[in-house]
Amino acid sequence: MSRVNKKRKPAEDSALRGLISNPDFSRLLILIVMFALTAVLQKNFFALKSIVRNINSFTPLILLTMGQAVVIISGGLDLSVGSALSLLTCVLTSVMREGMPITGAYALVLTFAVAMVIGVINGIGIGYFRIPPVIVTFATSFIWLGIALFLRPTPGGETVDWFQAFYKIGNIENAPASLKAFGDIVPPALILVLIGCVLWWAISRTRTGRYIYAVGSNSESAYETGINTAWVQMQACMINSVFIFLAALFFVGQNGSGDARMGDPLTLKAIAAAVVGGIALTGGRGSVYFALVGALIFSFVSKIIFFANIPNAYQTLFGGVIVIIAIAGSQIYTLSSRRAMEESKLT
Amino acid sequence: MSRLMSIRDNAAFTIINRYKKLIIAFLLILFLFVLGEITVETFFSLGQILLTLKLASFIALFGLCQMVVIAAGGSGLDLSVGYTATITAVFTAAIMDGQNANLWMAVFVALGLGVAIGLANGVLTAYFKLPPLVVTLAMANILQGVINVYTAGKNITGRPSPVLQIIAAKSTGIFPNIVFILIIVTPIVMIIMYKTKLGLKLFGSGSNETAAYLSGVNVKMVRCTAFIFSGTLASLIGLLLIGNMGIAFKDMGSNYVMPSIAAVVVGGVSLTGGDGNYVGVILGSIFLQTLTNLLVALGWGDAGKWTGFGIVLFALLIVYLSSRHRR
Amino acid sequence: MALSNANLVCQSGRITGLLGANGSGKSTMSKIIAGVYSADAGEIRYNGKPVKYRNPNEARKDGIAMVFQNLSLVADLTVWQNIVLGSEEKKGMFLNNRAAMDLSREIVYQLLPGLDIRKMVHELNPGEMQIVEIAKAISENPKLLILDEPTAALEQAQVKSLFTTMHALVKKGVAIVFTSHRLWEVMEICDDVVVFRNGENVGSIDFTKDVKDLEKIIGYITGETQKAKVEKAHDTVTDEIVLSIKNLNYGNFLKNVSFELKKGEILGIGGLAGQGQHELMLALAGNYPGVTCDAELNGKKVKLNKPANAIQNSILLVPGDRQLEGLFLKHSVFTNLIFPKLGLKRQPLLTPQKKYRKECEQVIDVLSIVTHNLDMPVNSLSGGNQQKVVVGKWLSFDTNVLLLADPAKGVDVGAKRDLYEYIVKQVKEKRMSVILYASDNEELVEYCDRLMIMYEGQIVATLEGKEINDDKIVATSMRVS
Repeated sequence: MSRVNKKRKPAEDSALRGLISNPDFSRLLILIVMFALTAVLQKNFFALKSIVRNINSFTPLILLTMGQAVVIISGGLDLSVGSALSLLTCVLTSVMREGMPITGAYALVLTFAVAMVIGVINGIGIGYFRIPPVIVTFATSFIWLGIALFLRPTPGGETVDWFQAFYKIGNIENAPASLKAFGDIVPPALILVLIGCVLWWAISRTRTGRYIYAVGSNSESAYETGINTAWVQMQACMINSVFIFLAALFFVGQNGSGDARMGDPLTLKAIAAAVVGGIALTGGRGSVYFALVGALIFSFVSKIIFFANIPNAYQTLFGGVIVIIAIAGSQIYTLSSRRAMEESKLT
Repeated sequence: MSRLMSIRDNAAFTIINRYKKLIIAFLLILFLFVLGEITVETFFSLGQILLTLKLASFIALFGLCQMVVIAAGGSGLDLSVGYTATITAVFTAAIMDGQNANLWMAVFVALGLGVAIGLANGVLTAYFKLPPLVVTLAMANILQGVINVYTAGKNITGRPSPVLQIIAAKSTGIFPNIVFILIIVTPIVMIIMYKTKLGLKLFGSGSNETAAYLSGVNVKMVRCTAFIFSGTLASLIGLLLIGNMGIAFKDMGSNYVMPSIAAVVVGGVSLTGGDGNYVGVILGSIFLQTLTNLLVALGWGDAGKWTGFGIVLFALLIVYLSSRHRR
Repeated sequence: MALSNANLVCQSGRITGLLGANGSGKSTMSKIIAGVYSADAGEIRYNGKPVKYRNPNEARKDGIAMVFQNLSLVADLTVWQNIVLGSEEKKGMFLNNRAAMDLSREIVYQLLPGLDIRKMVHELNPGEMQIVEIAKAISENPKLLILDEPTAALEQAQVKSLFTTMHALVKKGVAIVFTSHRLWEVMEICDDVVVFRNGENVGSIDFTKDVKDLEKIIGYITGETQKAKVEKAHDTVTDEIVLSIKNLNYGNFLKNVSFELKKGEILGIGGLAGQGQHELMLALAGNYPGVTCDAELNGKKVKLNKPANAIQNSILLVPGDRQLEGLFLKHSVFTNLIFPKLGLKRQPLLTPQKKYRKECEQVIDVLSIVTHNLDMPVNSLSGGNQQKVVVGKWLSFDTNVLLLADPAKGVDVGAKRDLYEYIVKQVKEKRMSVILYASDNEELVEYCDRLMIMYEGQIVATLEGKEINDDKIVATSMRVS
């Protein structure tokens, strides 16, 4: 082994330079800039109604991005999130029967179970059989799509009244006024995101949370330390499923119907947003909270494009271009810092 | 020492392996036909077989795009082939406008589009080292966006030139013409893959990047070229698609992406690269088309088709790609 | 055959040193004890009971911990997180990070005070990483600690700290097995020493009883029977300089390497494993775009920034790790043999099958490659024959400089002889010049006209003539003389 004597000096030059080269700080800076731009472009940005509307439109992507982040950190990747989301909406709306509030509860339980099964199947493919995650989740995405189409060949289905609590409490007829008022200020979407954050907060303090990083960073080392890497990756997939579940609740609360194709555009966006938020596609790095930031940046940029009056037709186009720029930027950043690290390592 | 032993054991297997995957693919097809015959009458008829071959040919051609990109290694995958074909179909439809006169221009435009898209994919993946999955997926999105912009508010006009229709849609006697195309293309591909320096460089890059590099091969250029090939071929397939369908529509090509990858997997071509047995891919395509027909014949519709596809692919991935034993 | 009839006895509260040249079996011995490999025959008794471990975890549960040469740390976790990885304490449902940090802080302080346990492992230099590895092993309170070349990456001060910690552990009754290439370290810290050669235990000295006899130890390592030095025919070596290298630098791996290769000479590169020899070979082959040097081939300047350049100049590399760097395992012997031809300019589009097949058959003949036919996949050949294929692919090239990176590694005696016979023949007949790196000193002694010894990326000595013998090589490599 070649011996290396180089010591790594922190960026002592100036505090400012150190701060700027810190990627997390840069991200927050970009977020603030995007936030400001949107505020300028969107009329009544600071009006309560607008804030609530924005939160609502951002929430699905935020939830999916956070879930995806967990999977990517563990060394995987999930291309099936979009169709999994669609499937869950279809399950929800197929179980519920309008006018029978109890079916809402059944729907919740059953759909959660389905979400867990989705996570387990993906986890088995990625963690146990160690099939490249890209391909295996590509395959499973079609299974979810197929089942969703079976349940809901066309968008539709039924919901119960109180289910709208996941979107806008004000829509529920019999809800107490105080609750409605509360829901107008603190939208349920925000609560869903909060639940997701709390969930991750708890998990990151357990062994699983630590092992997700370990396995994603170096699964060989993790294995040699006695960690059950297959189980850890499966758990990551299941955690992802919970986030997808929360997003499904929101969608059904909002639209009252299930749609087998609604999730398709979100898959790529979730991955891109995670990368923008600092999650390394190679695994082991990044913070789920910053994935949230990434989703926010992504969403604000989309809003900016929208308000800049770019015709609807161009939006898909821009979406794709943004993704490439975002990923390219993040990858170049990650690659250059990783390369510097590897050059000083032992072979 | 123990490493040598396991290498020797593998030796016997590798030879059988080479043909084993083809044999398995063939057997699977037979199995499906038998299953079809049992459950649905007249499944195993000449007409059905020919129709299957015709539709499978399209999958096989897309599968060729995938195979080349995958063979070059580096986790290569091209998810943009579907929309590449679609965008070509949409643009050239208007150019051809039902006449033969502008066919050459259409071909020219198709080539231009294909090369441009392939070049973009290739540069981003090989030189910028971005993951091919994400790049080609984003590219597909971009192309979809461009199509949206182009067709905003209006219908897609234009019809393919009659020559194209003859090639793609019609048959000579009972034999669909497109199958002829496949039959011509296949030996050319096999020769290039296995007997020219181009093919060997491709395999080398996919099989062992370091060894190829140390032998003087410019691996990055090889991989970029693979994407250019894929894009160009996908574009030309777009011409065939519109020739077959008679009109162009927005989702023309996107339904072929998944089957094209599945065909590669079923055909036993390694997803890590270095492999390129096109016959396997063709068998894989036939298998997938037969599966589709079976699912449709059973009356399960779209839902059944996708679920079936997904499950079969998942099962095959387990069989072919599981690396449980590595530890 | 890595080990045969090897035996070893370690006592608690003592440090036993394992010594031996590359490939002598000492590493294998360590790994068997730690459960990484399983012994084919023989018995291991631990605490008086016979044991047989199927994986390192089982050994670990029994109190045997091993610190590897290849770092098994997780780069994206902090120092303290790595130290407790796999054995984290819990406080209720959550991890008890405070306890983990306290424990880590304590251990690290003993080994390397000043190392911030909150740093991420990827921010550490290799020496610090090694310390963390050691800390991790110690944190499990092992009864038997195996340190496999732990000092390879450490600086002097860190080595001293390590020794202090080792003494402390030994006082608590821990038994330590310690391997190192640096003789003086072994002399300093060990209570007794066991020497391995060719997979066997050839001698041991108990330092608590006997004198520390350096000569005797070197004798054990190299083999007491001095082989009569074969005077090679030097008539092949001319004064003409075919390759001149000045100030070759590559990152941290190669520093100011300068030498001249004479036409018709076999110039060797020796030294302890991992001192930059492999990197030097790759650099000469053009594998590193970032390398800087003044290189001249036959008086003309050449750039070594791309393998294609080196190949065009007929500086050809037979890589050290044939499976990783030299072969396309799934592909046929034929494909592998003709592959480099593809890189040459002015090659026909369609590979001339007949012509190439004939050439390949000649190659198989000349090198005595054992294979059923040309189309067998190369991974079906034995190691020796695989290596012959790696050499064989350059046969039809007019070679200026042949770079041999450990060509006989893992190759059986017969194939080894065939290979070297061929190479020497080429040198004699075609005045080919060779740079030979071998991890087995025997090969260096037998074939080299001159021998450069490398240490930490630099050439520290050049031996000629009678100086090229085992003792001298070992001594120079270990910096004892």
